[in-house]
Amino acid sequence: MAIALKSTGPRQLKNTLAKWLITLGGISVLFTLVLIFLYLLYVIQPIFESAKIEPAGQFEISTVAPTLATGVDELKEIAFQINQEGQINFYQLVKSPAHEKGTLVLSENLLSGDATLVDVITSGVENKLLLDSEGNVQLIAAKFFSNFDSGSREIIPSIAYPLGEGFIDVDEHGGVFSKLSFGMDEEKAVFVAFTQDKRLIKTSLIAEDDFTYDSAHEANYQEIDFPVDHVNEILVTLDMALAFVRSDDQIFVYDLTDEDTVELKATIIPSLEQSSTKPHHVTSMALLSGSSSILIGSSAGKVTQWFEVATDNGRQFKNIRSFDVSETEAVAQIYTEQFRKSFYTLTPSGEMGVFYTTSEADLWRGQLITGKTSAFAISPRADGLVIVEGNLLKVFNVENEHPEVTWSALWEEVWYEGYPEAKFIWQSTSGSDDFEGKFSLVPISFGTMKAAMYAMMFAVPIALSAAIYTAYFMTPGMRRKVKPTIELMEALPTVILGFLAGLWLAPIIENYLPAIAMLLVLLPLSVLLTAFAWHQLPNKMKSRIPETWAPIILVPVLLIAGGSAFFLSPFFETLFFGGDVRQFITNDLDIDFDQRNSLVVGLAMGFAVIPTIFSMAEDAIFSVPKHLTSGSLALGATQWQTLVKVVLLTASPGIFSAVMMGLGRAVGETMIVLMATGNTPILDWSIFQGMRTLAANIAVEMPESEVGSSHYRILFLAAFVLFVFTFIFNTFAELIRQRLREKYSSL
Amino acid sequence: MISVIPRTLAPKVKLDLNNLSPEQVALEIKNLNLYYGDKQALQNISMSIPKGQVTAFIGPSGCGKSTLLRCINRMNDLVDICKVEGEINLHGENIYGKHVDVAALRRQVGMVFQRPNPFPKTIYENVVYGLRIMGENNRRVLNEAAEKSLRSAALWNEVKDRLHDSALGLSGGQQQRLVIARAIAIQPEVLLLDEPTSALDPISTLTIEELINDLKKQFTVVIVTHNMQQAARVSDQTAFMYMGELIEYSDTNTLFTTPAKKKTEDYITGRYG
Repeated sequence: MAIALKSTGPRQLKNTLAKWLITLGGISVLFTLVLIFLYLLYVIQPIFESAKIEPAGQFEISTVAPTLATGVDELKEIAFQINQEGQINFYQLVKSPAHEKGTLVLSENLLSGDATLVDVITSGVENKLLLDSEGNVQLIAAKFFSNFDSGSREIIPSIAYPLGEGFIDVDEHGGVFSKLSFGMDEEKAVFVAFTQDKRLIKTSLIAEDDFTYDSAHEANYQEIDFPVDHVNEILVTLDMALAFVRSDDQIFVYDLTDEDTVELKATIIPSLEQSSTKPHHVTSMALLSGSSSILIGSSAGKVTQWFEVATDNGRQFKNIRSFDVSETEAVAQIYTEQFRKSFYTLTPSGEMGVFYTTSEADLWRGQLITGKTSAFAISPRADGLVIVEGNLLKVFNVENEHPEVTWSALWEEVWYEGYPEAKFIWQSTSGSDDFEGKFSLVPISFGTMKAAMYAMMFAVPIALSAAIYTAYFMTPGMRRKVKPTIELMEALPTVILGFLAGLWLAPIIENYLPAIAMLLVLLPLSVLLTAFAWHQLPNKMKSRIPETWAPIILVPVLLIAGGSAFFLSPFFETLFFGGDVRQFITNDLDIDFDQRNSLVVGLAMGFAVIPTIFSMAEDAIFSVPKHLTSGSLALGATQWQTLVKVVLLTASPGIFSAVMMGLGRAVGETMIVLMATGNTPILDWSIFQGMRTLAANIAVEMPESEVGSSHYRILFLAAFVLFVFTFIFNTFAELIRQRLREKYSSL
Repeated sequence: MISVIPRTLAPKVKLDLNNLSPEQVALEIKNLNLYYGDKQALQNISMSIPKGQVTAFIGPSGCGKSTLLRCINRMNDLVDICKVEGEINLHGENIYGKHVDVAALRRQVGMVFQRPNPFPKTIYENVVYGLRIMGENNRRVLNEAAEKSLRSAALWNEVKDRLHDSALGLSGGQQQRLVIARAIAIQPEVLLLDEPTSALDPISTLTIEELINDLKKQFTVVIVTHNMQQAARVSDQTAFMYMGELIEYSDTNTLFTTPAKKKTEDYITGRYG
């Protein structure tokens, strides 16, 4: 009879099908993992890109007079220029239903008579102050409205006069100004000017109602004590709090907040590198968005950032950081963005640089124009530039979405405005509009480690002791009941643990802090004492309780120890800590105390991690071959010696991976840390302080981050870092486990 | 076949097992009963094991020979449901007495198991393990003991160059000799061998058997085996056990050539087992 060696029909089919299904399943799991990884990278990648600037078109200006100022609307559809003759001309930059590209949409003469414009001073997004040759001052605003009448969007430009169509009396004596600057909001406008008869004056116009609707106002004139007789530049902050008056290489800072007097707050004298061939000078100055920093450019090609810092001698202006703009040329102009801390520099030869202050990023360098510009403007959304050169109006697109994020801003100490020193700070949002996001990943990475560490400090000793006891000392019958019970704890939703930890455990720990401290001593001590007492007990009494159930006698002992700790807690508090431990810790020991602190997290997350570690470690210890323990015992070793020298050694790969798995779980755990840590992103090992972890940070901030923003991408980066963390832990654990396993493989 | 390997073992000494002088006795088992829960595994066993000789326990599987062996160093204590009645006297002292330190007992009564069980440590650390747990840390003492035990276990020449390699790299026979070296390093009086060659190949078995013959110069050896030829080759006395009872106990030659009991004869002639 021939033996059929070929498998036939349905059996073969099933086999092949199963093979393919399993392969498909395996590959799709790997593929999904890789996809997650790639998607994270895809979202993160733009934050590390540098800026791009590309020409978007250029237009010829119809008038001959030199341009003094320019600007563009938010959508970069209409640009305008103001020329020396006082004309404002609006040009269509993109084709619209009503106008072709390059059309002169609106042209208006802002001056009357023979006067010509001397200077146009910009403050905020749209306000332009016109200073004419006869010394008159007028405020205009180029406004843009969207019109949808024709069925598609049409931007309509117009000119508004926020302080009235007439001239503004900036000087009650009617002087002519050589330098002028201003700042304004809906209720107030403040002018600081230097007159040709060498007076420095401050003029405040206070709105009777609101400048948005009504230009009626009251004027308040003041003269400022000024030590020098000439002024190169004046800048008034947008919030009208400070005025910076530059006279050659000195900058006088005046406090404008007081209605009655203007005080000299500080004098900034930048230390300039002096070369042997020519002395260097301050060449330009600009206010950074947010009204607290000033940028000073010098002929040495450097820009320095200064802001007020609290020092021992009160608040002082300090040189925070500097940027090398050019090796050979002076910094002729500094232009700053409206809402971000970016700035643009121009040198006399037209070399341009784009920088970001806080991240110290050198974003772009290049030459967009050949000679001297007559006007330069950054679009309101900072996504474009308008430069007027001769009679050409050039428009550029700027792609610079995430200048505030650099490797150093994420991982190194950054000196933020208003802080006394460089620090690691995570603070992504605030109530204020001109707030700058602070995205240091250091505090939250640290928080992750801290939470995991405290959890492990609590979980590892308990879980390993329990595992050793269950696997090595417990009778098989008892073990069959105990092991699944502890493993069942793992199924407990962590949200419940976090909830209990935050709302129930945290207040208890706060109120009974001495009890918690006592428990640390009392519990182990009472266990040892009970064991000793049990040992001393005559055999007759011992035999009454089956040996399996002997540990049960620990239950009342532990309850009594725990109960007495809590009962005695208030007395201890009164006796040693003046009635309130919290106050004692905060005032006498000078340690900050949060209700939701590392102790709470350690307990709650430790509780969550215990089953993971216990289960794996118990398996490892239990699977140590019996013939090894017998071998050791037969050599006269005690149970304890056998445990320490043979069992734990042999089980070490398993115990190690159990601990690493626990650590991996603690690092990735979200709900408990979210609810029980207080989510304070601080760098402090203190057990009485909370922390914010990467996982909790993502959970807390994801809902409030704008899609595509730097914040959004940084949250993805946090996720990526978390991914890398767990990846490193697991790889490391697996490598060590493999090596140990190899060592003990032939058992 | 093992039986064709030439006998190189020393001639056997004949003793009157029922009338041994106290100096000749290494162990005295008196009315020993052992229960696993309700089941009685050893029934009223009494025997004297002479000093400096090899005593073999033979019998079919489950007859209680290993259980009896484990009673001698109280390894049965590890089994929860096990209960022992009767006495085993070592130096006239009952090892089941009240104040006996089991660890101390086991230092005097060493044991080698069926499967080689070296610890996952180096060869050296395996040998000195027993000394270390007794608190001996003097390098010189340990080195000497290690060399001496390894020589006694006929392993020294094979491992002297790799003492600090893992013991798990040794072959099965070498591992078993290492385990014997480990057991004799602490100088016990009695050495219990629980089927020491059943997991080994014939060549290794022969080496171990030769080793056993050497060991009896220093130690009293008790061996459990289900290999009758082995019992015949290595032992001076043989005890035949059946169903928890000691059926016959006499010098090996007598037991194998002229057994007194029918059961013994049936067993050694291969009628059962």
